[in-house]
Amino acid sequence: MELARTSRRKLSAILRYGSAVGFVAAALCLSLALRASFGNPAWFFFPAAVIATTWIGGRVAGGVAVLLSTLAVQYYFIPPVGFRINEHDLPYFLVFIVCEVLANWIISWRKEAEDAIREARDLLEVRVAERTAELKDANEALRNQMEEQRRTQEALQLARSELARVVRITTIGETTASIAHEVNQPLAAVVANADACVAWLSLNEPNLAEARAAADRAVQGATRASEVIARIRSMINKKPPERAPIQLNPVIEETCILAASQAEKNSVAIFTELDPNLPCVTADRIQLQQVLLNLVINGIDAMAGVTDRPRELRIRTRVQDSHDVLVSVEDTGIGVNAESMSRLFEPFFTTRAQGVGMGLPISRSIIEAHGGRLWAESILGRGSIFQFVLQSSEAGQG
Amino acid sequence: MKEQDAVVYVIDDDALIRDGIQSLIRSIGLQAVALGSAAEFMQAKRIDAPSCLVLDVRMPGQSGLELQRQLNSAGIYIPIIFITGHADIPMTVQAMKDGAVEFLTKPVRSQELLDAVQKAIERDREQRKERAELNAIRRRFKSLTPRETEVLNLVVAGLLNKQIADQLGTSEVTVKTHRARVMEKTGADSLAHLVRMTEKLRTSLQK
Repeated sequence: MELARTSRRKLSAILRYGSAVGFVAAALCLSLALRASFGNPAWFFFPAAVIATTWIGGRVAGGVAVLLSTLAVQYYFIPPVGFRINEHDLPYFLVFIVCEVLANWIISWRKEAEDAIREARDLLEVRVAERTAELKDANEALRNQMEEQRRTQEALQLARSELARVVRITTIGETTASIAHEVNQPLAAVVANADACVAWLSLNEPNLAEARAAADRAVQGATRASEVIARIRSMINKKPPERAPIQLNPVIEETCILAASQAEKNSVAIFTELDPNLPCVTADRIQLQQVLLNLVINGIDAMAGVTDRPRELRIRTRVQDSHDVLVSVEDTGIGVNAESMSRLFEPFFTTRAQGVGMGLPISRSIIEAHGGRLWAESILGRGSIFQFVLQSSEAGQG
Repeated sequence: MKEQDAVVYVIDDDALIRDGIQSLIRSIGLQAVALGSAAEFMQAKRIDAPSCLVLDVRMPGQSGLELQRQLNSAGIYIPIIFITGHADIPMTVQAMKDGAVEFLTKPVRSQELLDAVQKAIERDREQRKERAELNAIRRRFKSLTPRETEVLNLVVAGLLNKQIADQLGTSEVTVKTHRARVMEKTGADSLAHLVRMTEKLRTSLQK
């Protein structure tokens, strides 16, 4: 860099002083050649040589040109020829020198100003380039950071959904233990008393009074078991005051948002075809959300192994029989075989390795608690459609 | 029938279950007493007859397992059949270690329960007989004088009359007299019988 600059400077020194000599020599030759036909063109050519030299070579080279041209003019064009001067030609000569010095000075001043501007401009360009590079780096860093943040976000989302799943399973696990005990206890009473009844009847002389008492207790036990089950049912629908007329379409849209990341992960496209004139239904919003989410997640899961056709989930709403609301969730998944279909709504029936098998039974009992119906249809290898019907609020009141 | 004397205590906080089980047990001719809690059993007057407990593990207040521990530490030996809605292995193991006869899950099969009850009562009958026998032996051995006890110990150790006389510094005739008294007081009809009784007493004391 430094070396290049020095060599360039050396080259420009040769060029500068060379141009001074060259231009003055050219001016001299032209003046001498053209003197006969054009009077005295030296007055024009020499200042031109000074101007050109100053422009190309700068002030010092211009000064050299002034000196050389002064000598040449004095020698050839101020009579007599030689380094002597007539008295009355002296003012012309002096004016000539002043003009040349002035030309040199003005031109070099302009040249310097122009150079300074150019230099400033170059410097600016360098600065701009530097800043642009810095900005680019900053942009890159920002992009990396955003990428990292996105990854963190995804991990967080994953952890959150995993937690939700674990909580759900744990909750269900806890309730099954107590449900099992609650139901088993009266059933044990039924069995013990029925056995006792049979034993009293099987004696050689049957004891009818004892048998009747035992049978009575068996009936009481069975009644209690059914009461327990009714209580568990009511536990599932335990917030009757929450029921209010609600629009299903926004609930469906919310559900789609909730399931979006799951769908994205499984490369499933969700389409909705929602009837804009859908009437309200009187229902517990959270419970319906749970049902919809369950159906949507089931649909997404059912398509996990599908590779030969697009994975699409379609959610439709429409009015049925002028006062009912029909919601359908259709997937292009693997479908359900006939044997599984008959057990689909049984508690703890699941085809998934990690499934608990409570989603559909709970969904059905929620819909039924709202006075509706939930059912499924499926074609093996083509997909399934889950549908439920609820009465609209107007119909419910009428 | 001796079986008529046996008593089964059924302890369960669920009235329908305890009445059902009690009825079932009575149907095969055993006496059965139904009680609602461990505390009721501790307060109840227990009949002096071969008996067993049919005990629910999960009860409000004192659990079945706690009652078992309480009875063991009070030196009340009564065979226990546990019934429970949900049995886990550590619970079962602990109960069996503490001397439970059987661990049944609800709903209980009647035949299993009745078999377990028969087994438990049989066990209690034997234990009662054993305990009665032991008590009798203890009573009889207590009536021996210190000198007679000394002679007894040496006889059981396998020494001859002459050796015993040497050791105690008396005559062989005196030893013979003591020995006859020992045989008479303890009711032993042979030396072997005497040795057996002494062993029994010693092992019971070691316990």
